[in-house]
Amino acid sequence: MKDLKIKSTILLIGIGNSGRGDDGLGWKFVETIDGQGYDFLDYEFRYQLQVEDAALITNYDVVIFVDASHDKLSGGFEFRRCISASHSFFSTHAQAPGAIVHLANNLYNKFPKAYTLAISGRSWELETSLSEEAENNLQAALSFFTEQFLPTAVPQLVFSH
Amino acid sequence: MSKKITIDPVTRVEGHGRITIHLDEYGQVENCFFHITEFRGFERFIQGHPYWEAPVLVQRLCGICPVSHHLAAAKAIDQMVGIDPKDLSPTATKLRRLMHFGQVFQSHALHFFYLASPDLLFGVDAPVEKRNIVAVAIEHRDLAIKGIAMRKFGQEIIKAVAGKRIHGILAVPGGVHKTFTKEEREYFLNGKDIENIDTMIAWSEAMIEFMKDYHEKNRKFLDEFAQFPSGHLGMVNDEGGMDLYDGKLRAIDSEGNITLNDIPTDLYEEYFSEAVERWSYMKFPFLKKLGREKGWNRVGPLARINLCNFIPTPLAEKARQEFVAFTGNKVNNSTLYSHWARLIEMLHCAEAIKLLLHDNELMGDDLVRKGNPRLKGIGIIEAPRGTLTHRYEMDEKGMITRCNLIVSTTNNNDALNTAVRWVVNNVINRKGTITDSMLNQVEVAVRAYDPCLSCATHAMGKMPLKAEIYNHDGGLIYERFKD
Repeated sequence: MKDLKIKSTILLIGIGNSGRGDDGLGWKFVETIDGQGYDFLDYEFRYQLQVEDAALITNYDVVIFVDASHDKLSGGFEFRRCISASHSFFSTHAQAPGAIVHLANNLYNKFPKAYTLAISGRSWELETSLSEEAENNLQAALSFFTEQFLPTAVPQLVFSH
Repeated sequence: MSKKITIDPVTRVEGHGRITIHLDEYGQVENCFFHITEFRGFERFIQGHPYWEAPVLVQRLCGICPVSHHLAAAKAIDQMVGIDPKDLSPTATKLRRLMHFGQVFQSHALHFFYLASPDLLFGVDAPVEKRNIVAVAIEHRDLAIKGIAMRKFGQEIIKAVAGKRIHGILAVPGGVHKTFTKEEREYFLNGKDIENIDTMIAWSEAMIEFMKDYHEKNRKFLDEFAQFPSGHLGMVNDEGGMDLYDGKLRAIDSEGNITLNDIPTDLYEEYFSEAVERWSYMKFPFLKKLGREKGWNRVGPLARINLCNFIPTPLAEKARQEFVAFTGNKVNNSTLYSHWARLIEMLHCAEAIKLLLHDNELMGDDLVRKGNPRLKGIGIIEAPRGTLTHRYEMDEKGMITRCNLIVSTTNNNDALNTAVRWVVNNVINRKGTITDSMLNQVEVAVRAYDPCLSCATHAMGKMPLKAEIYNHDGGLIYERFKD
């Protein structure tokens, strides 16, 4: 099988539906980071994760799945390692991040560091804007990502290369 | 007093449904229904929007087959700007066909590799934790990798012509908004960045060989499981060959007799009507002249192969001839042959994509044409799951006043119910207990039709997953649930 060209070391995947209110949090986060011009980041947008995303993430050292959460998370968001997980699916066209990592590990023998970034939302109606609460949570997540995650993650990646 | 079994929703179908089985006090089946109870929205939601928004908006009712909705809507909107299919420029027609073949190819790959293969590879008795793509990936790594690459190829075709893999835009009223480039063509031919089209053809042929081998070992199961007589509906070209993008509507009965003789798609409403049932939000289309009970048809790969005279690409036609030979050229009414038929269509799509990639008209610049506006339009296409109809009306200001969507899964509504009834009567009804395997066989029958329930109800949102069995006095004795 042929590999895609490696363009960057970190991949951000925004998951959600920007037409359903706060379900657009994942996309909005990725769009905002994209607008800040980091040349070592790549960006993808998904309504749902699909099995073929396992092939995609094998091209990166780090992958971060960004999605809205129904849960009221402390500080408005939660950033954690994404553990490989072989789920039993009722509906396999939509995959969980852990399953994508699991497939990347088992199908392609690739082990990117994977994280999930969940951002709390509140409103899921038919609209294209975020609720005020979601906007605040988005800003908190963005601050964490740019001020804490990237400064520590990027030097490690550069060093390891 | 009766007992009710609920399988809610069916696993590994696109969208979510619910099956209820009603048993009497002796444990015999009284009745069973395949319910679709999701909220219907898009037909009403789109009213008041400008007509030209339809191909963009309506595709949003599904994340799996948006291209089919995009193109069916586009065909209808073409008519509203006075353009019939024959009036489109060759470049626009070929770009739309390329997009459609890419869509059918990737959708069939999704279904066969991700949804159906666990049933075939592990059997209906396999435990639930094994009946998924992750298990396929672990035990049949090569098959899983090919499946991913084939789906990706189809999606890359869509991305090339529409800008993105899901919910992209190619069609505009009367044509397309972009052409194809030499660089894009080379991407699919040279095999440098992704597996090339020749590999897709070779792998499609290999999948058919896999299926023939499976058939050899499991013929009785394939022949008998959910076998029932029905009509078959699909689209054919002027010569009676399979045509997935445009043509005339043909229907046959379970014996192969013509019940709808190649009518222009514009005349759909003269020949078809739709029934409703209180237990489902999904409509029940039927041929008027045959009535509600006898006039329903299956649609999709099996129907299309049953009713076409030939497939207009050589390798797929050879595969079709082998397929129909198993039934002595008679109509195949066995549900599980849908999987085989789906693989033959994948091969056809791959061949058709190759032909288009080598066609220089694909890179033309005659993209949009205009005619005399009309106040209504109808677009019919053979979507991956079967015949898909979009019908729109607009006012003098160009605002949509009426929309009717008859999607593939809606056309298969009666077939789905009949398939479920077959399993209930033949697998569940004769046994003293109800096992997970039995319930899975209900799902196997449904999955063979690759139903897209979010399309069928034009739903917005999601439904929980639930399986329930009630005893004769209404007490819950079995439950399976998943968010």
